[in-house]
Amino acid sequence: MILTEQEQRMLDGKEGYPVQKAMQILVQLGEIYDAKRMIPVSKVHMPGSSVVVAGEAGTKLVEKMVTNGGYFKVPTTLNTGAVDLGQWKELGYPEETYKQQLRLTTAYEKLGGIACHTCTPYFIGEVPRLGEHIAWGESSAIAFVNSVLGARTNREGGPSALAAALTGVVPEYGYHLQENRYGQIHVKVEVPLKEAVDYGSLGYWVGKKAGSKVPVFTGIASNVTMDQLKMLSAALASSGSVALYHVVGVTPEAATLETAFGGREPGEVLTFDKSALAESEASLNKHQGQKVSIVVIGCPHASIEEIGVIAKELDGKHVAAGVELWVTAAQPVKAYAQRCGFEQTIVKAGGKIVIDTCPILSPMAYVASKKGMQALVTNSAKLAHYAPGQWAMPTYYGSLQRCLKAAVEGVF
Amino acid sequence: MIIEENTIKVGVFKGRKVVGGKARGEALVSKEPICFLGGIDVKTGRVTEVGHPLEGKNIAGKVLVFPTGKGSTGGSYLIFESVENGVGPCAMVNRAVEQVTAIGCIIAEIPMMDRVEPDPIELIKDGDLLEVDADAGTITIVKK
Repeated sequence: MILTEQEQRMLDGKEGYPVQKAMQILVQLGEIYDAKRMIPVSKVHMPGSSVVVAGEAGTKLVEKMVTNGGYFKVPTTLNTGAVDLGQWKELGYPEETYKQQLRLTTAYEKLGGIACHTCTPYFIGEVPRLGEHIAWGESSAIAFVNSVLGARTNREGGPSALAAALTGVVPEYGYHLQENRYGQIHVKVEVPLKEAVDYGSLGYWVGKKAGSKVPVFTGIASNVTMDQLKMLSAALASSGSVALYHVVGVTPEAATLETAFGGREPGEVLTFDKSALAESEASLNKHQGQKVSIVVIGCPHASIEEIGVIAKELDGKHVAAGVELWVTAAQPVKAYAQRCGFEQTIVKAGGKIVIDTCPILSPMAYVASKKGMQALVTNSAKLAHYAPGQWAMPTYYGSLQRCLKAAVEGVF
Repeated sequence: MIIEENTIKVGVFKGRKVVGGKARGEALVSKEPICFLGGIDVKTGRVTEVGHPLEGKNIAGKVLVFPTGKGSTGGSYLIFESVENGVGPCAMVNRAVEQVTAIGCIIAEIPMMDRVEPDPIELIKDGDLLEVDADAGTITIVKK
């Protein structure tokens, strides 16, 4: 790799240990992927912001950067954490995790991190523009920001995002380069997609087949919503490692099918039809049974529109005895929901808006065992994918309306 | 290249160094991609992803051979944490390394190789004793 004089100074330790260690990680990564140089990034979104992910090893690494005088060179937002920092106790999270999370969050803040603790920073004003080079972690947000907004990021893991924040650069390879942003697989959607959950089922089915390739969708209506694209992004990045996709006529790098493929022929053509939709839904409903303990909406973190719909559906109803309803969202979105009266309606119905965290990145096995929870219900393909492996919880998957009905009736 | 030697099949594979170093351990082979978040319990090393071909097996001390990574970007720190907890793999081998796994191996300082010929996923079996020398770009089956 060819480094600028400034980058070489960083690598030589002239800017101190944190910057040197960061540059070593980035150079090593650049060499793996044959990058020729570093490029500046304007923003970082930090995965490994939850202690469930960072662990003791990751926390110590971040703290070591603090004690050695490190400071982020670019605005850096923190991904979802391991507890709701305000209502962790009533939600049933252990005090130990709260303390560990506070330690990690504080360390990131000392480096200049913005503690928004959300996986949907794009719902709270973090909206990089077309062609902007960034370094984002959080698999669902990466797929969203690359595809829907057209900004450019690779799949940053915790240590590489930390390194990008400390130096302000990343190696130039992968999705930063135009040549790697063209479509590889053509997915013909031949079944009407009605709700957000259907987009999750589509993404889950395609992600398994696409792996890390770039899918191009046709047959998706141009009035598809941000919430639906959020579900598509999250599911593609759960069953596979898709970081970029295009929707012809919708996403900015896909005005036409030809543009999306850069004039090349698709390597593969898949058809997503009625039977594929049913197959995908069935693969996420891995367990049989009826009784519901917890209903989770907001994976990835809910938008204000989604919370508005939930409030409208729940108005005048009440969640069944013994059932918890969590709507997970970013803190500013919760404040917004309160202003709109949505939060009051949800709380009156027996639900909660939970911030900073989510069931995937929190010690949910502990909460489930403490509260004797037996089954989870969600409209998120991502959560339905991770929950059984993460906390051995039987999971049911269905539309938002069906999930809320399950919350009210206590059965799925 | 696979050669027959004293009735014990011995194989030497050549590939690319992703993260340098040497390791010796039994192989654990998956035909499916692996995600460390929700896929592996980093306190015990047990594979927990429901329906995964390695479900219920343990990665501790193994040379983990799989096509590529998938899913959560939390995987990098979880690889690090599993190694720090003493239940991580001793080395990893991929067909084509994906960034989250590569970063995990860099920070955990375990040898990692990819672009290996012939295809290790087809030819290496669970329990084969392997010597991985990422610096030399070789993987040797020392005992089937």
